[in-house]
Amino acid sequence: MRRISREPSVVITLAILVGLMFAFIIYPQVQVVLVPGLGGYVSFLAEQTWVKPFFNSLQVMLLSTTTAVVLGFIYAYAMVYSKMPFKPFFRIIGVLPLLSPPFVVAASYILLFGPRGMISYYVFGQSPNILGLGGLWGVQTIAFFPFAYQLIADVLARSDARMEQAARNLGAGPWNVFRTITLPMARPGLLAAILTTAIYIVEDFGNPALIAGQFTVLPTQAYGLISGFGDVTGAAVVSTILLLLALALYVAKTRIEGQRSYVTISGRAGTIPRPPVPTVVNVFCFVACSLLAILILMVYGVLLVSAVVEVFPVKWGLTSKHFEFLTSNITPLQNTLVYGTIAAIICAMFAMLLGFLVQRREWRGKRIVDFIAIMPAAIPGIFFGIGYATAFNQRWLDWIDRGALITISMIFWNIPVGYQAAIAGLQQIDRSLDDAATSLGAGSLRAFRDILLPMLDGALLTGFVTAFVRAVTTLSVVIFLFTPSTTVATIKIFQLVNDFMWGGATAFTVSVVGVAVLVLVIVWTISGRRVGLQRTG
Amino acid sequence: MKGMTRREFLKMSGGVALAAAGAWLAACAPTPTPTSAPKPTVAAPTAPAVPTVAKPTGKLSVYSALNETTNNEFVKAFKAAYSGVEVDLLPMAAAGELQTRIRTEKASPKADVFIGGSSEFHDALGKENLLEAYKSPNAAIVNANFKEATGLWTGWYIGIFGFVYNTDRFGKEMANVKKPTTWDDLLDAAWKGKLAYPDPIKTGGGFIFMATQIFRFNKDEDKAMDYMKKLHANIAQYTGTATQVIQLVSQGQFIGGLNWAHDILTTKAQGLPIDLIVPEMTGFEIGAVSIVKGGPNLGAAKAFVDWVLTKEAGELNVKLSNRGSVRPEVAPAPGAPTLDKVKLVQYDRQWASDNKDRILKKWQAAVGM
Repeated sequence: MRRISREPSVVITLAILVGLMFAFIIYPQVQVVLVPGLGGYVSFLAEQTWVKPFFNSLQVMLLSTTTAVVLGFIYAYAMVYSKMPFKPFFRIIGVLPLLSPPFVVAASYILLFGPRGMISYYVFGQSPNILGLGGLWGVQTIAFFPFAYQLIADVLARSDARMEQAARNLGAGPWNVFRTITLPMARPGLLAAILTTAIYIVEDFGNPALIAGQFTVLPTQAYGLISGFGDVTGAAVVSTILLLLALALYVAKTRIEGQRSYVTISGRAGTIPRPPVPTVVNVFCFVACSLLAILILMVYGVLLVSAVVEVFPVKWGLTSKHFEFLTSNITPLQNTLVYGTIAAIICAMFAMLLGFLVQRREWRGKRIVDFIAIMPAAIPGIFFGIGYATAFNQRWLDWIDRGALITISMIFWNIPVGYQAAIAGLQQIDRSLDDAATSLGAGSLRAFRDILLPMLDGALLTGFVTAFVRAVTTLSVVIFLFTPSTTVATIKIFQLVNDFMWGGATAFTVSVVGVAVLVLVIVWTISGRRVGLQRTG
Repeated sequence: MKGMTRREFLKMSGGVALAAAGAWLAACAPTPTPTSAPKPTVAAPTAPAVPTVAKPTGKLSVYSALNETTNNEFVKAFKAAYSGVEVDLLPMAAAGELQTRIRTEKASPKADVFIGGSSEFHDALGKENLLEAYKSPNAAIVNANFKEATGLWTGWYIGIFGFVYNTDRFGKEMANVKKPTTWDDLLDAAWKGKLAYPDPIKTGGGFIFMATQIFRFNKDEDKAMDYMKKLHANIAQYTGTATQVIQLVSQGQFIGGLNWAHDILTTKAQGLPIDLIVPEMTGFEIGAVSIVKGGPNLGAAKAFVDWVLTKEAGELNVKLSNRGSVRPEVAPAPGAPTLDKVKLVQYDRQWASDNKDRILKKWQAAVGM
């Protein structure tokens, strides 16, 4: 592993990155952790109202992470290995759940599958009470499998087809190849996916708020303490408990991760097609993905229909009034796109550079920086926002534009996404490649830019896409930062839902999802044409 | 309040939070006198509607917990009355979020006025020295129970806690069950698995309902917890947000639910098959307005508070949000519970917030959640 002390440019770059992380991740969060004071911690912990939510959080995390990763793996496998038809369609479906602003999609599940749900009751005559652990488990599985899918697909796409071909030529059956080659090679991606998914699930607030009912988890308790009682102290304690939980997940990850090498890109040319998978697997992949697609389309269908009828599900007359309302309140939607796009680009680049410096270079304090980079994923959004509002709402900082501050909060809140993708991607690229470049006289940063970055396009794209969709769908991070002129779409949706204006809320939701899908398709098309992204099927 | 003797007036202000004014007060006021009663202020029968101070100008920043339509109409009407002021309104449905935001912004306050939300949220900020005391001339007519004695906040509307039910499903499935007129009626086994209740741990409204039960039994917590435990047997769902109860009931997912009367009426007005009942001995909130200390535009903030306390603003709010005005001359919204017909508990706000954690824990133990 190379030391960096001989390259001043690298030292400076690193200092800037770490400095920014301290300013925009550590400093605001410290403000929050210090809020309760020692007495506040002692008295709140002694009341033990947090114990039940704590175990509830653990429970739903274990259940939903398991199912979401299994589903994500199947989906990723189907996309990368199988010969199923309509892949571009499934690719969009696979990110659709990520695009769901909080509050609205969970409500759609209740309309479909609740005690008087359109499917559950009016089709099947059942009255399931889906509010609670069961409903939450299901919704979180669907909502978070895309994270697992994105990360795993990227890893699978990078794995070397030649090894699989060789194994097949030597007589191994498809199942054996999967078990002894495909799966082990996907291990870093799988671990990253499990860790990331687990942290997102445990941190999520929007879905449990609407579908978990009395099954209180830590984020809903923290939010309830603030919105219902203005109890910032208690909420800060709950948030700190969540942070510790994430720390535990992180430690677990570093211990599980063995020292095995997962290098699969050696740089030598030669892309052979993957060995064909048996027909039965193709059929299974297609059926599984189709079922999932039907479910997801139904959920979004309800939103679409709600946006074009008078009062769903009572008055079915077609109307354009909800969209007229939207066009007369268009600023939040514009803000969302501007902030989200800028934040995602900077975030993906930042995370990639950081991932390179951590994974490829040796320096003191690396593990701490590594942890700081994934910490935001563990911070409940509402506390990320409160930290920012407290830290940066100072008289001497009043010149900072609020839109810029919101963008910065989106950048640093989403660092973990790009960072995880970068590390997983880097682990699969042979060090000899960039070492060769530096041996020939290129600086570290040049080696990164010219050699690694082009090979990391998949990881970079994963970082961008995920950061973008998380930025445009976040509510809690910006709720303490927005001003009337910097309102974003999710804030508007949240207010409309609270004002019982379901039609207007769904019109906004449909527009956010629609525009986000458009952006993604454009990105995919451009990058796909240029670098042959994930053309592996 | 005209024509009331001083003796009656004192008795009335003694009852801690006996909501409302006018005829209703005279009927319900003679009740025990807890110690935490605010000192009565002498009510001036006629308050000047327009302040005599210089015309305010500039930009006014309002943090509002009111609903969308009320916000829009309020800004419009206020601008019509004070043409020199530009209003920047930041809406947020949950008052606790606005309260938290004002706290986090204390190093450089961005808000001039905090409007809407139960008085507890304003009171906490006042105690932390984050509010500017202002006794609006128009507040003189407001009952002393509805405002902070030194003018840190002033109540301007009343929200009442009620019961929402789905008229379609109730008519079809519970034809032989009588409509609940008391909270005890909800213990009827016919309601088993049909009720939704905003989780008291996560929502202010849910907690107010539980505290209301304690006050209904004269602070006999064991009786109240016994009631909550029996009610628990009928509850199908504790929801994560208060508004969700009305959504679920209007969709017919559940038949009945506990919620704010004004929100129930607002949803009903969209043509959804629900209706409101206000059982006797219910709880309520005092919706307040306050001025943030150190905000950018104190002059305009005072003008706004003055305006909010006018009859015009009170009527506008009643029309748009179905809440009740603290001004006796403002008629309630059609279908809204009129204060003279509703029986309210003596809601001791200070006691309720001081004992919140303890009560919630007791409740969790009682219902096993």
